[in-house]
Amino acid sequence: MNVPAQGSLELSSRLAEDQASRRALVQLRHVGKRFGAVQVLRDLNLDIYPGEIHALMGENGAGKSTLVKILSGVISHFDGEVVIAGQPQHFSNPREAEAAGVIIMHQELSLVREMSVAENLTLGHEQLRFGLIVDRKAAAAKTRDLLDRFGFHLAPDTLVKTLRVGEQQIVEIVRALSLDTKLLIMDEPTSALSQAETDVLMEIIRDLALEGVAILYISHRMDEVFEIADRITVLRDGDLIGSKMAADVDRSDVIEMMVGRRIEANDIVRKNAASKENVLSVRNLTVDSQQSLGQAAQRHLVQDVSFDLQQREILGIAGLLGAGRTELLETIFGARGGKVSGEITINGVPRIIATPEEAVEHGLALITEDRKNTGLLLNFDINDNVALPSLARWSWAGMPSFKKITTETQSKIRELGIRCSGPEHIVGTLSGGNQQKVVLSKWLATNPRILLLDEPTRGIDIGAKDEIYQLIGQLADQGLSIVIASSEIPELMAVCDRLIVLCEGRKIGELTKKQFSADLIKEMSMQFAE
Amino acid sequence: MTTQDRNMSQIIEPSKTTSNLLGILLRTKLFWGLAALYLVGILSSPLTSAGRNIFLSYGNTTDVLRQVSVTGIVAIGMTLVILIAGIDLSVGSLLALGSVTCAMLLTKEGWTAATYFGIPATGLVVLLSSLFVMNFIGKAAGLIGQRSDNTSAKSADMAFRSVFMLGAVVVALLAMVWAASQVDTKFGVLAVLLVVPCIGAVMGALNGTLIVAGKLQPFIVTLAMMVGVLGLARVIAGQDTAVYPVYTGTNATINFENLRILLWGVIPVPVLFFLGVLIVFQFVTRMTTFGGYLRAIGGNEEASRLAGINVGRIKIITYAISGYLAALASVLYVAQFRQGKPDAGVGLELDAIAAVVIGGTSLMGGKGSVIGTLVGVLIFGFLGNILQLNNIDSNTQLILKGVIIILAVLVQEGQLQSFFAGLKFKGSLGKRRP
Repeated sequence: MNVPAQGSLELSSRLAEDQASRRALVQLRHVGKRFGAVQVLRDLNLDIYPGEIHALMGENGAGKSTLVKILSGVISHFDGEVVIAGQPQHFSNPREAEAAGVIIMHQELSLVREMSVAENLTLGHEQLRFGLIVDRKAAAAKTRDLLDRFGFHLAPDTLVKTLRVGEQQIVEIVRALSLDTKLLIMDEPTSALSQAETDVLMEIIRDLALEGVAILYISHRMDEVFEIADRITVLRDGDLIGSKMAADVDRSDVIEMMVGRRIEANDIVRKNAASKENVLSVRNLTVDSQQSLGQAAQRHLVQDVSFDLQQREILGIAGLLGAGRTELLETIFGARGGKVSGEITINGVPRIIATPEEAVEHGLALITEDRKNTGLLLNFDINDNVALPSLARWSWAGMPSFKKITTETQSKIRELGIRCSGPEHIVGTLSGGNQQKVVLSKWLATNPRILLLDEPTRGIDIGAKDEIYQLIGQLADQGLSIVIASSEIPELMAVCDRLIVLCEGRKIGELTKKQFSADLIKEMSMQFAE
Repeated sequence: MTTQDRNMSQIIEPSKTTSNLLGILLRTKLFWGLAALYLVGILSSPLTSAGRNIFLSYGNTTDVLRQVSVTGIVAIGMTLVILIAGIDLSVGSLLALGSVTCAMLLTKEGWTAATYFGIPATGLVVLLSSLFVMNFIGKAAGLIGQRSDNTSAKSADMAFRSVFMLGAVVVALLAMVWAASQVDTKFGVLAVLLVVPCIGAVMGALNGTLIVAGKLQPFIVTLAMMVGVLGLARVIAGQDTAVYPVYTGTNATINFENLRILLWGVIPVPVLFFLGVLIVFQFVTRMTTFGGYLRAIGGNEEASRLAGINVGRIKIITYAISGYLAALASVLYVAQFRQGKPDAGVGLELDAIAAVVIGGTSLMGGKGSVIGTLVGVLIFGFLGNILQLNNIDSNTQLILKGVIIILAVLVQEGQLQSFFAGLKFKGSLGKRRP
């Protein structure tokens, strides 16, 4: 497990020397794919070497997932040639790809929630006793071996559904690693991981590379890519823009390759400063986990947290995964059951908010971290999604005014610059950034005074991220008070006026804009983590 | 309707507009299926000795329509429940319970189990629904529900609210007193039409409450209700007399006969009820906020809750409507078969679900229509009629019905081609959804 800190540096220099003489594990020759009239991948030539950590970057729609699907056998009709370990391969399904050693770790978790860790890890490769009965003991032992090998301490008989998302992701990784892997494709593996878990994953990836496994690493996160990758390949609109050694490029080069123009990562510009008026005050808020059978003790998800929010202010909530950011926002919005104590004051009036209905009435809006499952009706159009929280207000005698819905939706599409074919565009087919803008639209249509944003840019392109930051700034300038919870510290530092840092449900401290420092925030958020 | 209106919300209007001929044919394929079935009916129909087509005869058509009216009313309630991604297995038993209480109210004098249960149920349902109507009128007229921090506006709001509340209580009491006044004689047609559906609504609301408050699966709750209510119907009916005959004019009021006549010698009254319910709920699902919420909840319950919608209340109301309609159908059932009995609705829930699904409503929720259910019910009704006219034995009929359900759903979901493609097996086993 102990990889020296300069491990990836050594590796990359070694790779650079060796590459000419070594045989590429995967050779893509003139690979192309067209869906109807859309050419999603164009004449792609790329080599991936054994032991190489190869980052694949590009905005949504750049062709990354198409490439991954071709490599993993999900797409079986394409132009050009794929050569793996010297053998021309044309997988017609994922099983063939797996048999050839190409393993993919999906962005969305594909574990069976009702099964234990051990059952998930051995699913499809169960050891049988007398050719009939699943050998649970052997499975548990094998699982413990695998988990130990990567330094995870999970009981093999834990049910997957009781694990946190980060832990589930680790099980997923371990499952991918338990197979005989030559090329491991990882699609946004850290999107739900905390910093500590990410660090562990990075080490595992380096280990694997040292063992000779080629890794195709897909991520939006620049930090990670530069920390780990030997080589960075960028796709844009189906074209290969470049494939460079990581040491030869910097962040803004890569962003420029991805977006096609230079984007400066600056703090957002604010026109109006926050007023001294408190719009929202939270005092001694404590939230306990809902007690269910099987769970032994209640734990505090949020403990004794107090803060004030002023008008036109953007307040950030920093913290690691499990620090209680989401729980804090959900509780203020009345979206959580369970035991809650403390006091919430809105515009000087103490309020008890038990349901989202009441929260909306008091001018609150919550944009959830999981827009696909809790933010949007994916199979419905933009009209429907924008109208949903306002439907009652846009109705007379129980009948909604279609005209009102369309005009409101159209004006929001214009204001926020949602790229779509019109108000009837089905939301599920929009890009992540545009989906997030639809979520924002639906809440802005309720004329909220306080906007609670939970991970507002998760899974969104860099260009679109920037747009969302600007938008948040404009909204605050217009008089809204905004709380942003995020796991991305640079994001919070760029957008917020003030920050509070949570660790294990407790408020560690409060920082004003002048005091912002990434190291300090990181340190504060790991206060109690041993 | 302007194009814009037609293109409106899926919450309100789910169909995507395609203007080419193929698109229209595909969108209306269900109607074409019904038309094709009707054609088969005409062609295969035996002729009378005078050479007339029996299938096309007026008597046959009204017979089919009468039969589908009972199932159809139940299926409309089921459509709403399935729109919110639920299921209601208890409708058959609720129809049985309704038919027993209906027959008892019609034929027995004095206080019986039916009146003890029915009159308070009526009071409760009338109270809640008139509160709802009052609130609705108040809001539409702008008297209540205006958001304001002004004290005088607040007290005016409170005053109007209390007046409305009082009004609702008075209406509920009047309804109970009127129903109770008929206890000593036997119930008339209007009284059973008031009381019996309310019993169903209470049981339906109980379904909804258990599902919402107990966070239970609709399948389990309504399955338990199906079993329990069947028992209740038997207990109320008494062990000796499993069947309550209703002879209008002798043991029951003559005006109950109105529920089975041909109105103006043309339209059977049950069909009129069916049409009425159909129009009301077509309107409710397409043109009202309530209908929008039904689709939204079916589309994504959690997102709807977080959008500030009172999901629990809407679910309870939906199950109550389903129960109400099942019991309303039971009154028509009693009129048609001249009897009430505990095994009246055996298997009805499955017929209703089948009709809803054939009508294109997705069991996953969020997508579907009441009109589709009408077509589904008609396909089912005419199919049974055609098979009967051609003397196909009843067991073979069941087999054919099963086949038709699968085919209709495959066509509905546009899966027929991929179904046959899937049969070729090539690569289909390892295929993952992209």
